[in-house]
Amino acid sequence: SSGEDIIAWLADRFQVDTQEARNFVSMLVALGYIYPLQDHRRLVIKPDASLYRFQTPYFWPTQQWPVEDTDYAIYLAKRNIRKRGILELHEQEHYNRLHKWMNHKWDFVVMQAKEQYRAAKERKKPDRVVFECQERAYWVVHRPPPGTVSAMDYGLDRLTDPNADEVTGLLCCSFKHYTPLTRSLCFLCSRRLVKYCSTYKSHDPFLSNCLPSNPWLTDDATYWSLNMPSVEIPTKMRVERWTFSFAELLSDPRGRDDFRLFLKKEFSGENLAFWEGCEDLKWGEAATMREKAEHIYKTFLARGAPRWINIDGKTMEVTVKGLKHPHRYVLDPAQTHIYMLMKKDSYGRYQKSPVFKDTVKKAICPEEHRYRHRRPSLSPIILRQMEQEQRAKMAANVDITQLCRFTTPVPHLAVYSGLTDFPTANASPPLPFLVHTPACPSPISVALESTSASERRVEAGGGEGDGDPAAARAPVGGHVSGSRVALSLRRLLRRGCTSASVFASLSPKCHSAAGTSVRIQPIIPDQPKNTVNTKFVFLEIKCDINQAVNDT
Amino acid sequence: MGKDECKTMLDALNKVTACYRHLVIALGSTSDSQNLREELKRTRKKAQELAVANRTKLTSLLKDKSISKDDRAEYERLWVLFSSSMELLEVDMKRSLEIGQDFPLKVPTRHLIQTGMTGSTTTVAARAMSVQNMKYEADSNIDTADLRDLQCEISQVSQMMEEMEMKVQVAPWAVEAKQEAGAELKSNMSVGNSSVGVISICEEEPKEEDGGGNRDAGFASICAVLVFFVIVTVAVVLGYLVINMS
Repeated sequence: SSGEDIIAWLADRFQVDTQEARNFVSMLVALGYIYPLQDHRRLVIKPDASLYRFQTPYFWPTQQWPVEDTDYAIYLAKRNIRKRGILELHEQEHYNRLHKWMNHKWDFVVMQAKEQYRAAKERKKPDRVVFECQERAYWVVHRPPPGTVSAMDYGLDRLTDPNADEVTGLLCCSFKHYTPLTRSLCFLCSRRLVKYCSTYKSHDPFLSNCLPSNPWLTDDATYWSLNMPSVEIPTKMRVERWTFSFAELLSDPRGRDDFRLFLKKEFSGENLAFWEGCEDLKWGEAATMREKAEHIYKTFLARGAPRWINIDGKTMEVTVKGLKHPHRYVLDPAQTHIYMLMKKDSYGRYQKSPVFKDTVKKAICPEEHRYRHRRPSLSPIILRQMEQEQRAKMAANVDITQLCRFTTPVPHLAVYSGLTDFPTANASPPLPFLVHTPACPSPISVALESTSASERRVEAGGGEGDGDPAAARAPVGGHVSGSRVALSLRRLLRRGCTSASVFASLSPKCHSAAGTSVRIQPIIPDQPKNTVNTKFVFLEIKCDINQAVNDT
Repeated sequence: MGKDECKTMLDALNKVTACYRHLVIALGSTSDSQNLREELKRTRKKAQELAVANRTKLTSLLKDKSISKDDRAEYERLWVLFSSSMELLEVDMKRSLEIGQDFPLKVPTRHLIQTGMTGSTTTVAARAMSVQNMKYEADSNIDTADLRDLQCEISQVSQMMEEMEMKVQVAPWAVEAKQEAGAELKSNMSVGNSSVGVISICEEEPKEEDGGGNRDAGFASICAVLVFFVIVTVAVVLGYLVINMS
C-alpha cells in the first residue's frame, strides 16, 4: 500500500490528526515494521504514492532479539551470490571485516548461505522477491548504510543501571549468572572497596573539606605548606593516615622519618635502611645498579656486615645467588621479607610508641579558612628566583664531601639537603633528622646510616660558612666506635675530598648551574654538644640520584 | 570413512537448519497456516535427530586420542560447523516459540501480517525433509499443542549444547576456515540436488572451477567479436554493391 494510505488509515484508526499519524508512521518505518519498496535504503515515509509493505514478525525489533554478526555474514554471502560478487561499498567493507574476525566460522557461513539460497529458490518467484526484500529491509535497519541515521541507535549498553540502588544492589542483579567462586570474590572485592571508601572518604579533598582550605579554591597555599614532605609538624589528618596501613606510613616521607626515628630508638634502623636501599635499586638508574647492589650486600647482607639484617636462611640463599648476576629486582625477596617483618612487628610497636604518640600530640589541626582575603599566590617565576638565590647561598657554604661508596666515587653522586634545613636545623629540633628536598620530593633517597667516627670533618671550601648551623655541631669528639668500618671510613674521609673543589670536579656531570649544597648533618640523638652518650653517631647522607630534582 | 560420513551428516543438518530458518521467517505472515506449523514441527524433529547423530559421531571421533594432527584439526573444524549450526537452530527454535505464541491460529479471526507472500512453503519443507511431496496429517490444534513440545525440545537442545561445551574441549577460534572470501560464488555453477557433491567440489577444487569459468567467458567473447566482424563485412559488401548498381 502507498504511503498516503497508511497515514490516512492510521489517523483514522487511532483518531489522531495527520501530522501525528505521519510521525508515528515514520517511526514505524525507521524501526523496520514497514519498509519501502522503492528507495529501500532510506527508511522514511513519503507522502506520495510510493509503496510500502509490512515486515514479517521474525524481523521485527519488538522482541529485542540480538542481531548477530553471524547472521549478517550469512546475509552478505547470500547477497554476494545473488549479485554475483558486486556488493555495495559498505557491504563490501563489512564483508571483509567479518571474514577477517569471524574466520573460524567462515566455512559455516558459506555453507549456510548456500543452503539458504537454495531453500529460497524453492519458492515461487514473487514470494522469493518478497522474501529478499524483507531480509534486505531488516538489514538496512540494523546495519544502516553509512550516512543514514539509524533508529536503532541508543548508545552503549551498560551492564548496570545507574538509577538502581547502591553498590550491593547493583552487584546482586548479575549475581545469578556467576559461579559461586566469582560471587564470593565479587563480594569480597565490593566489601573491600566499601571499606576503602569509608576509610579514605574524609581524607579525599574532593569529597570532604581539606583544612585549612583547598588551595585551588582560595588561593591560599597553607594546605600545601603544611603538608610538605619535609615539614616538621605534620597535620593531624596526615598522622591519621599513617595509621591506616604500613604502606601509607612508608610512602609519606614525613611518616617514614618518624618511623625511622622510632626504629633508631629500637636499634633496628637497618631494616628500614635496607628497604630504602632496595627501593633505590629498583627505581634507580641502570648504570649504577651493580654498584648499588654490591653496596647493599656489603652493608646489610654479608656476614659481619655493619648493619646486618635478619632474614631467613632460604631467602638469604636466594638473594646471594641472585646477586651474582644482579638486576633490578634481585633483592625483592629479601625486601619483601623485611617489609613484612617491619609491618608485622615494628609497625604495631611504632603505633604504641612514645615517638608516635608524641607526634600525634604535636600534630596540628589548622583552622578552616575564612575565605576572606584571596591574595594571589606568588608567581612561579618569583618563587623560582627565590629558590635559585637560596641555592646559590647554600652552594657557597660547602662543608664536606662524603663518599657513599667504599670504592671509587660515583661521579653523579649528589649530596644534597633541602632548603628547609636552615630554619629547622637552627632551631635544634627535638628530632634532628635530615629533611628531604622540598621542591619535588625525590622518590629515591638513600639514607646511609653508617657508624663512623664521631668526628666529622668539616671542611669548608670557600671559607667557613658560619651561617651554617651544621658547623655549630662541629667536631663532636664523642666516642669512636672501634669497628673497622669506622676506621676505614675515617681514613676515607681524610683521603677523600678535602676541598670543595674536588667535589666540584665530581659534580659537574650532575649538577646544574645552580649548584648544590653539600652538607652532612650528623644525626645526634642528644643535643649537638660534645657529649655523646650513645654508641653511634650517625651520619646521614642523602643522595639525590634523581637529577631532575637538582634542576631548577 | 568416518570423516565423510560426518561431512554428509553435517551437510544434511546444515540444509535442514537453513530450511527451518526459512520456515520460521514465514511464521506470522500470510503464508502462515496450519501446514506451516506442521512443516515446522517435522523439520524441527528431523533437525534434532540429525543433531544427536552428529554429536555422537563427532564426540566419538574427537575423543579418540590416536588420530593424527591433521585429522584432529579437520574434526575440530567440523565440530565448529556443527556447533554453529546448533546455535542457529536453537535461536530459531526460541524465536519460533515466541512468534507462535503471538500468532495463534485457532482464533476466530487470525491476525496475520500482510507481508505480500502468497505462496506456501511446501517446497522448502520438502527440501528439508528430503521428500518429493509433503503429506499433512496433523490435527487442528497443532499450534498450541506443538508449542508445548517446542518448549521441551528447546530445553533439550540447550542442555545438549551445554553438555557439548563441557565435554569437548575445542577452541572455536583456533579453527581455520578452508573457504576464502567469496567462496560462495565459486560453486554456483553446479548447484545441484546432491549437496554432498557440491561441497566436495568447492572444498577441493575451487580453482579449477574458476579457471573453467574464465575459459568459457573468453570463448564467448571471441565468438561475439567474430560474429560482429562478419556482419560488418557483409554490410560493407552490400553497400559496395548498392553503390555500384546505382
